[in-house]
Amino acid sequence: MIDQIKTKAKELLKTKKVDIVIGYKKASDRIGAIPAFIDKEGDIDKLIWDGYCVYNLSNYLKDFPGKKIGIVTKGCDAKSMTVLLQENQLKREDIFIIGIECSGIVDEKRKGGDIAYDERCKGCKPATPPIYDVLIKEEEKKQAPRLEQDPYESVRKLETKSIEEKFKFWQDEFSRCIRCYACRQICPLCYCPRCVAEQTQPAWFSKAVSVEGNFSWNVNRAMHLAGRCIDCGECERACPAGIPLRDINKKIEKDVKELFSYEAGVDTEQKPLFSSFDKNDPEDFIK
Amino acid sequence: MQRLITKQDLVNKLTELLKDFEVVGPKELSNKGIFYQVIEDAKELYLGQDFAIEPIKKFFLEPSSWILRHAKDDVSLESFPQSDKKRIVIGARPCEAKGLALLDKLFDSEYKDDFYINNRKRTIVVGLACAKPDMSCFCTSMQGSPAETSGMDALIFESGDGFIIELVTDKAKHILGSIGEDIKEDQKLNKDKMKALVKKVIKTPESLDKVFESDYWDEVSRPCISCGVCTFLCPTCHCFDLVDEEKKRMRCYDGCSFPDFTLEASGVNPRPTKKERYRQRVFHKFDYFKKNFGENLCVGCGRCIRHCPVKIDIADIVDKAPI
Amino acid sequence: MKNIYLPHIAEIVDVKQETSDIKTFTLRFKDKAVGKAFTYKPGQFVEFSIFGEGESPFCISNSPTRDSIECSVKKMGKVTQVLHEMDIGDEVGIRGPYGNGFPLDELKGKNLLFVAGGIGLAPLRSLINYCFDNRKDYKTITIVNGARTSKDLVYKDEYKTWEKAKDAHLHLTVDCQEDNWTCMVGVVPKILEEIKPTCKDSIAIVCGPPIMIKFTLPVLMRLGFCPESILTTLEMKMKCGLGKCGRCNIGNLYICKDGPVFSYAQLNGMNYDH
Repeated sequence: MIDQIKTKAKELLKTKKVDIVIGYKKASDRIGAIPAFIDKEGDIDKLIWDGYCVYNLSNYLKDFPGKKIGIVTKGCDAKSMTVLLQENQLKREDIFIIGIECSGIVDEKRKGGDIAYDERCKGCKPATPPIYDVLIKEEEKKQAPRLEQDPYESVRKLETKSIEEKFKFWQDEFSRCIRCYACRQICPLCYCPRCVAEQTQPAWFSKAVSVEGNFSWNVNRAMHLAGRCIDCGECERACPAGIPLRDINKKIEKDVKELFSYEAGVDTEQKPLFSSFDKNDPEDFIK
Repeated sequence: MQRLITKQDLVNKLTELLKDFEVVGPKELSNKGIFYQVIEDAKELYLGQDFAIEPIKKFFLEPSSWILRHAKDDVSLESFPQSDKKRIVIGARPCEAKGLALLDKLFDSEYKDDFYINNRKRTIVVGLACAKPDMSCFCTSMQGSPAETSGMDALIFESGDGFIIELVTDKAKHILGSIGEDIKEDQKLNKDKMKALVKKVIKTPESLDKVFESDYWDEVSRPCISCGVCTFLCPTCHCFDLVDEEKKRMRCYDGCSFPDFTLEASGVNPRPTKKERYRQRVFHKFDYFKKNFGENLCVGCGRCIRHCPVKIDIADIVDKAPI
Repeated sequence: MKNIYLPHIAEIVDVKQETSDIKTFTLRFKDKAVGKAFTYKPGQFVEFSIFGEGESPFCISNSPTRDSIECSVKKMGKVTQVLHEMDIGDEVGIRGPYGNGFPLDELKGKNLLFVAGGIGLAPLRSLINYCFDNRKDYKTITIVNGARTSKDLVYKDEYKTWEKAKDAHLHLTVDCQEDNWTCMVGVVPKILEEIKPTCKDSIAIVCGPPIMIKFTLPVLMRLGFCPESILTTLEMKMKCGLGKCGRCNIGNLYICKDGPVFSYAQLNGMNYDH
């Protein structure tokens, strides 16, 4: 599989079809992976592919304006590219998607070092990227059996709580937030040139690491991703404080699905949720 | 001065101290990890070997704290009152305590920062020696060790079912000197031997001057996502912002990885890309601070490596810098 | 507990519109004892507080030999916008003075060449008036002051005094020719090349926008000034003013604490980002 990735990368660079290939290479610990930016044929052998290739690399597309980019892309990563395309943040012709039929990634936070498929992979149905230019499949049937699991199990559990219980739950979780903004920075869809959290004229919410400031930040972040988040789960993985950010994202995703029958990141031709309307909308604000 | 104490001795002593002291120590939160928190019952303490995610720094230089407000007359300004309650920190690791010793150099010199100094003065730091450094730890390359006592008042070592406590300062001897029993010569720990537990060893050049202009910084900073994990979780990163909110002024963490850190009102930014920002972080730690205070502004705790969302390894980057 | 971040309250006692977006504020401390204890050197700066909005650093633009404290402020960001709406009687917070200021002893007995662009004249004005007030300590004083247009020139009231002073030369310039403009035309570095001030026993003090400094330094070098005898005062985003908050460094030096005045020789030997 890695050979196929390397061959493709080599071809892309050699034929000057792309200026750079974004993929994965071994991290300094010799176990994990780190994003790799390959612009010389000689560096292609650094590329790797394994369960530690956890990052959603589409986050780096904005770092190379005006360049043609080849990018190693898992199913979930391709979905975020779909949204970027829908939102005119990318030109399709500028990227060459080396799609990977992913069999799941490692949960590095789990103690004991056993390789377990990440929680976020369990609800991932199409492991095949919705868009790609070349698809590289797992050779052997390494695919982990995907449990027919309710993707909203944890959300449903939270929904049964009373308002007070919910508040208490999130207050506890957000109390550990240190406002490092890793959740925002790792998110391919958090691309605002000036985030609402940094605006000072006016300042929209408190910078203090407090109940109010932390609630405002975390809820705002999630709301800005309503109808856009494709649940790659990178925010939760990046959070050093272990805040279950996916639960908020999933709740909004579920609401969007139920209210508007809309699912983000599946179709580049689809209009973004918030730039479309339906004349038959039950609310009268549209008329 | 070393003494042998049992776990029960320690719990009893802390329970006694809880009457007059605020006690801060590591707690294990299920599925989340270890966090330093204010302890209400000595039994809540986690004294295992897993590292806390945030360093003990946050109890000395708070993530955000109010420093000014309007006085009652609504005209003049006054300082926010600071707690003078005595405090004991237990379970901080040698690297984190050394971080405090480094912060002392900055905050307790020239223009003295009494907010920080007050927090230092009212606190006794009792450390916990590291029996299981992990693969991100590189304290021995930063003149530290799993049993280093710099920045501490006392240090405890796991020993059999109990602990050996080393009392470093008079403050510690006064408060903790009565617990446990004297140690026999052959029970004393070989602290030097503990250094070998740390496997990650790097070389740090005396100065990085020559590589400032190198493309190396471009290359190594590319994976960086410009978040604040490394700086906020660093025991020595001290950069802050001053922010006004509702007639109060706050000091809160800020970091060189954020583009806004140096963005001027005119729109000019002297560190416009990740390259300049990451280089600033490396140079501040391994060059500038050394020029100003004689030591690296790094204690080798490995937090920035362990928690970096994209596995950037500052130790490896410094080690391989093309000097 | 001493709070190093605590400002003193000062009242705005005068406001002068210098240009369309620059105002000079004259301040007086509310607490007379504070005012008495407040001493500073030309080139030092203060942190201005508009409580509720934040702080911004401004150099003190008048000489310590004069009575009041004056700061000239260009409308730029959050704090300066609010400040520009303030008027006589309004109160602001002031803490400082901070920074090294100009090396007054080193300047004694020298010819002084002041090179300013736009609001860059503000820190130099403090030193210029200081030198005029201690006239016997200095030899010839030459001032080259430029701005984009004549409307952008600051401290216009003082030009006459400077011009008339003994052993002093004032060269005013604007970037392009304008109606009724009788002084020089051209950017500051070009004017310097024309007037060819002597480098002998001279110190040049330069302050202006980065682009002006960039092109002025080589001209000064060509005129024979050595890097040690060129002084400049730098600016960067600052917060604490005390070398603690970590953002205004160039190399291992903090502009707020070790600067803002540096010699070109000092800067040459340093790695910096811009």
